Amino acid sequence: MKLSDIEQKLHLQNITPEIGFEKLSKVTKGHSSDLMSDVLANAPGGSILVTNQIHVNVIAVALHAGLVAVIFSSGMTPEERVRQKAVEEGLPLFVSEDSTFDIVGELYKLGLRGH
Amino acid sequence: MTPPAIVKEAIRRGLGMIAICDHNSSGNACATQKAAEGMLTVIAGMEITTAEEVHVLGLFPSVEAASEVSDEIHAVLPDVEQRTTPLHDQLLMDEKGAVIGKETKALYGSTTFRLSETADLIRRHHGLVIASHVDKPGFSVLGQLGLFPEDVSFDALEISIGGVRSRKYERYIPPTEAMITSSDSHFLCDIGSSCSVLLVLEPTFNELAGALRGRRCRFA
Repeated sequence: MKLSDIEQKLHLQNITPEIGFEKLSKVTKGHSSDLMSDVLANAPGGSILVTNQIHVNVIAVALHAGLVAVIFSSGMTPEERVRQKAVEEGLPLFVSEDSTFDIVGELYKLGLRGH
Repeated sequence: MTPPAIVKEAIRRGLGMIAICDHNSSGNACATQKAAEGMLTVIAGMEITTAEEVHVLGLFPSVEAASEVSDEIHAVLPDVEQRTTPLHDQLLMDEKGAVIGKETKALYGSTTFRLSETADLIRRHHGLVIASHVDKPGFSVLGQLGLFPEDVSFDALEISIGGVRSRKYERYIPPTEAMITSSDSHFLCDIGSSCSVLLVLEPTFNELAGALRGRRCRFA
């Protein structure tokens, strides 16, 4: 599944439009956690993260873990300096009004798996 | 855990200084100080739960400073929910251990203060900022945030009793901050189960601050 397809099908708000991700390869894996230590330890490389943790560390952790994008759930929107850091690092960020549970359910229906 | 019982147990265990660090409140610090007068140094503190659900200890130079922080915290906490089976009552006591009231705010939840804001709040009231039980997976800076954030400085990092006993704390040794341990007692029998030794002239808040700054401390 391409990131642009995920964005469209889940009605995600792209909060880093400066980043072009058309050339990114397909996303087949996902991870969901609000504990960044868990993301560091367990998120598969190349996965998309769903979380409501909007602390700036999410960006550094996502990069360390080799994630392709982050979806913030329940309308949680990180502040501008977090968004800027993501743009600098080329990490696409999205916001959804849906709960983590529903977002993960939709991603699973699209074929993404946890490992 | 009444103020006189806490004081008595701390003295029995040979402690020279304790800090009362209730969750998100300092309501019982003054009563414990009064109960300890002339016998034991009691620091007014608080364990604050940040918006990211990180636990941070604030240790304050006075009950008044702690109380002001407590008021700011209470302003952002929801009221205690009326449940059919109540959680532990959040009791307020006097120095004799008599119940004088109940906390009306839900102290068990998280505040809306982010970690950096929490550290600022503590420092604005001249308190010491300590990252709680950094070795634990839950409610710790490393557990919640994965890495130490660049924009927050701590006066010390705390290692839990489990971390000290298992000796699995080497990876947490910070380059500049002091490292301490404490019992994090929620029950009388835990008092003194883990503590730190400070090299100080006298058991006072200022000496404590100096010992942390100069890293003149070690696990007991």
